[in-house]
Amino acid sequence: MLSFLAELKGPIVNGLLLGGLYGIIGIGMSMIFGIVRLVNLAHGDLVILASYLSLVTMVYFHTSPLITLILIIPAMCVIGFFLQYYLLNRVLAKGMNPPLLVAFGLSIILQNILLLVFTPDARALVTSISVKTIPVGGFLNLPVVYLVDFIGSITTIVLLSRFFSRTYLGKAIRAASDDEGAAQLMGINTKTIYAIAMALASGTAAVAGVLVGMTFTFYPHTGPEYLIIAFGVVIVGGLGSLLGTFFGGLILGLAQLLGAHFLGPGFQLLSGYIILLIVLTFKPTGLFAKG
Amino acid sequence: MHGIERSSGGLSRGGGRIVAGALLRVEKIDVFYHDFHALWEVSIAVEEGLVVSIIGANGAGKSTLLNTIAGVLKPSTGVIEFFGKRMNGLMPYQTVSEGISMVPEGRRMFPRLTVLENLEVGCYIPRARKRKNEVLQRIYHLFPILGERKNQFSSTLSGGEQQMLAIGRALMCEPKLILFDEISLGLAPLVIKNIYQTVRQINSEGKITALLVEQDIQRSLKAAHKVYIMQSGRIRLQGIPKELSQEDIRKAYFGL
Amino acid sequence: MNLLRSGRLYGFVLVVLALISLPYWATRYWVLVILLFSINLALSQMWNLLAGYSGLISLGQQAFIGLGGYALAVFSLYYGLPIWLSIIIGGTISVLFALLISAPIFRMRSVYFAIGTWTVAETLRILFSNWKYVGYGMGLFVKPAYALSFNTIYYSALGVGIASVALVYFLLRSKLGLGLMAIRDEETASETLGVDIFRCKLNCFLISAGVTGAVSGVLYLHNIFIQPYSAFGIDWTVRLVFITIIGGIGTIEGPIIGSFVYVFLQQWLSDYPSVSLLILGIIAIGVILIAPKGIMGTIQEKLGFEFLSPRRK
Repeated sequence: MLSFLAELKGPIVNGLLLGGLYGIIGIGMSMIFGIVRLVNLAHGDLVILASYLSLVTMVYFHTSPLITLILIIPAMCVIGFFLQYYLLNRVLAKGMNPPLLVAFGLSIILQNILLLVFTPDARALVTSISVKTIPVGGFLNLPVVYLVDFIGSITTIVLLSRFFSRTYLGKAIRAASDDEGAAQLMGINTKTIYAIAMALASGTAAVAGVLVGMTFTFYPHTGPEYLIIAFGVVIVGGLGSLLGTFFGGLILGLAQLLGAHFLGPGFQLLSGYIILLIVLTFKPTGLFAKG
Repeated sequence: MHGIERSSGGLSRGGGRIVAGALLRVEKIDVFYHDFHALWEVSIAVEEGLVVSIIGANGAGKSTLLNTIAGVLKPSTGVIEFFGKRMNGLMPYQTVSEGISMVPEGRRMFPRLTVLENLEVGCYIPRARKRKNEVLQRIYHLFPILGERKNQFSSTLSGGEQQMLAIGRALMCEPKLILFDEISLGLAPLVIKNIYQTVRQINSEGKITALLVEQDIQRSLKAAHKVYIMQSGRIRLQGIPKELSQEDIRKAYFGL
Repeated sequence: MNLLRSGRLYGFVLVVLALISLPYWATRYWVLVILLFSINLALSQMWNLLAGYSGLISLGQQAFIGLGGYALAVFSLYYGLPIWLSIIIGGTISVLFALLISAPIFRMRSVYFAIGTWTVAETLRILFSNWKYVGYGMGLFVKPAYALSFNTIYYSALGVGIASVALVYFLLRSKLGLGLMAIRDEETASETLGVDIFRCKLNCFLISAGVTGAVSGVLYLHNIFIQPYSAFGIDWTVRLVFITIIGGIGTIEGPIIGSFVYVFLQQWLSDYPSVSLLILGIIAIGVILIAPKGIMGTIQEKLGFEFLSPRRK
């Protein structure tokens, strides 16, 4: 029995760390879903876009991926702002389906632009830490990059959390997501607020993109894979809760690696999908959803 | 209409319009709610420092009028002027900067924000932020219960407390004019009495002009300096409460 | 019956006759174009049935495309069954699978439904990639299809294309169809009028699954090679979504127009497949913003005119 558990230490720890990365991928989607009531089907592609932008910046300035964040985060924020303000705000009033379809269209456009510019070759943000591992407790080799992902994820979430609870803008965003009309009566320009929320979400996509690029290889069409992960994280973790999304990520990461451990590496993604389908069927509002 | 003459304060009854010294002037507006013609050539004037009440049954168009003044709805014809400045077509978040604040029908709390956060959102506009703490103290003085419950989620408050929060929230941006939309709905008589006392207090001490929409005739007549009675989207009667007869009021209210 | 007297019927018959005789007077290139057009038409009619009439945005039709294609491959290759039978089995398996997942899937609303269907398709993709029986991710060659002539495949495709239009047309004139049109126009009101919405939607889901599976069988007669990555890929749905939106969602003619646009663009830019998808995406977004009813829908709105109207006059 003990040796069985000992075997699981690897998948569990790695699953949790990977879950941190999944959490940061899902945060952006959760924000937009909760605030603007839009399911951004292009979120995964925005993450990958950030990966590619980081790649370009990395090569141009000869720096490490984490440094590129200085440029990439603002860049993505601007992109997100304009996308929401000029494109998505226009379709929001048209009902449930048009925004979904526009986001879908955006996803395809992004993928194909990336394909044209960067070719279908696999890329990665290679750094010195990409292959290093840290021996832990004599039984485990932790990939350093997973640790970096986890820390990056938590840091971003804590910062976001403070933003929402301490600043006027953060409270305005929360108010607008509670009651758009009443928020307008407070002097809040909700159109701009939504664009700012999208800018923030894209900022988190920037962080996610750099971390993802450091951890895995990526292609122009990797976006949808991360979209499903983001969705899984948001659904499992529940809407409207930053912390819930983070825990959703942890659960998904755990499920994936435990699944891979028991069923084989080809079933890693599958385990995640099964969990997603189960939660979608029985409790779509998520395991940690706030009232 | 420019070149406004100052009147001596006398008010006319029937269909005449008040011209002088008006803080808020609404002149012959028509408002459509989708295809429904909700307001027909409505004109009112609200003088600075007064409590003005708009009375009418359900569907008379009172809330529509308030919403149009706040900018939520747009008039298709007519003029809305505030401090002489034209307000037609402004978005709701812009009317706030001009100095008009609204206590919406149904309170419309932000349920996932605390009492304090609700109030803080109330002074979102830049000029109000600087004076936040000062105004907050005044609100707590006016509504002590809000101070006690400031860190609770606003959804946990009772109906009367929520109404107080809504009013407090509207006060945070230090408006010149507050629009109150059916503040007595769903509240117990004692609570309503307290709220109206507060409204009077805000008006007399704070020198804030109030435009109230109410279904309760008696309550309105007692609270207001001037009343308008609406029916089916039109103003039927206006005047000073004690100068109006019960008969006239009843006729106007029911459109007889 | 009004239909027989309608001049439009004769126009339709004329076009069909022209298409049937196509291999005898047109170049092979054009026959191929019409072949692809017909397949896309059939698939998008089914997607339109779901999205345009039942209000179900499905991002998982590729599940049935994969199932239908693999059924064709497996049953004709491994078991030596006749091709037409394998195709029908593909359709049947698709319906059964749709029935199987309908219980959990129909508990999901709108966007959850979309992601749910997509996840199911991805799950199938992984399962087939790891399944020894179908050759893992390396795929299968539909060898029995080598024996078929190009014209046979063309007529099969043309057949399913026309049949799909006819199917949708007569479906919409049936009792199910009345319910659907009511749902399309005003869902909550139709519920109060006694339309059993759930049953309507479920039937549409099953029908579209079965037809998609069968059409996929014909598709893979042409493609010959099937592997999980592309068969169960989201790319299929991307095409169907764009075709239907651009052509006009919720109309019968919409997928016809949309398929033309798609195949035309694809052939014109055949050297640059990403560019064609890019342009399609931009057009689709433009359509949603400016003319959300698509080409056909906007024509219908402005001119009050339906070419293939299932409405009884």
